[in-house]
Amino acid sequence: MATHPGEHHHPSPLQYVKIAILLAVLTVIEVALFYVNEAADMRGWDAPLLIFLAVLKFVIVVGWYMHLRFESSTLSKFFTAGFILAIILYAVMLLTFGVIALGS
Amino acid sequence: MEAAAAMDHHDQHESTGIDHRKLGMWVFLSSEFLFFGALITNYLLYQGQPGFARPYPAEIYDIPFTSFSSFALLMSSLTMVLAHNALARRDQHATRTWLLATAMLGSVFLGGQVFEFTEFISVSGMKLTTNPAASAFYLLTGFHGFHVLLGVLMLLTLYGISRRQGELSEASGLNLELVGLYWHFVDIIWIVIFTVVYLLASAPVGVG
Repeated sequence: MATHPGEHHHPSPLQYVKIAILLAVLTVIEVALFYVNEAADMRGWDAPLLIFLAVLKFVIVVGWYMHLRFESSTLSKFFTAGFILAIILYAVMLLTFGVIALGS
Repeated sequence: MEAAAAMDHHDQHESTGIDHRKLGMWVFLSSEFLFFGALITNYLLYQGQPGFARPYPAEIYDIPFTSFSSFALLMSSLTMVLAHNALARRDQHATRTWLLATAMLGSVFLGGQVFEFTEFISVSGMKLTTNPAASAFYLLTGFHGFHVLLGVLMLLTLYGISRRQGELSEASGLNLELVGLYWHFVDIIWIVIFTVVYLLASAPVGVG
């Protein structure tokens, strides 16, 4: 909890609300990008932009709502290790089966 | 004697400097990346494979509706963290209110998923065995929904304990933190699913 000695101060309720507004805005941009791409072909730019926005939302929730940026680095290492392992494992699989490709 | 026993108990829990239950939860969540990663990869492998019966999931998504339920789940992370914050301030009433709000938003998401599945099956005719992409879609989103359901049950249990005891004790406070971590994790997994499975969806060429 936030009251443990040695821990950093967590954000205030107002800061949490501001973060939620930011997450909502990012979601609106994501959905808007989807429709922009439907209306006018973005020539493949939609995918990297959507992935960037998803990663941004992911990092915000993990860092601030899950408090990982305020926690011990041991927890960060465990969590990040699982994430990176999964990304590498499944990226290799998707590359192998040609679902994604390196370069054009 | 009792003090020594208490010290031993304390050491068992704090030998890493981190509460073992908390460390266990983070390791569990880390392992869940592999679980959901497998299901997402499975979907990506099959979503574009032609030659099967229609419709494919990408042909029948209702993006405005799914955006709404995604928004509800995203905002439930706010109410969850506000419940955690309220307990840290020892505001038991606010803690209960935010816990209930989180459970309700989770239920809205679950209701949306039930509605979506019903529409897909009965209106669009995309059943579990219609094509491999449909199977992968139901497996992925169904397992995520199951995780949300477990989260809602845990939230309601904490709410019930708080109502019955009049307050959440310090031990229950850790439980709330662990449930909160689980809940936020379910949210971040949906952030990935919403982008990769819905917004970046594609049906086989020549279909749809």
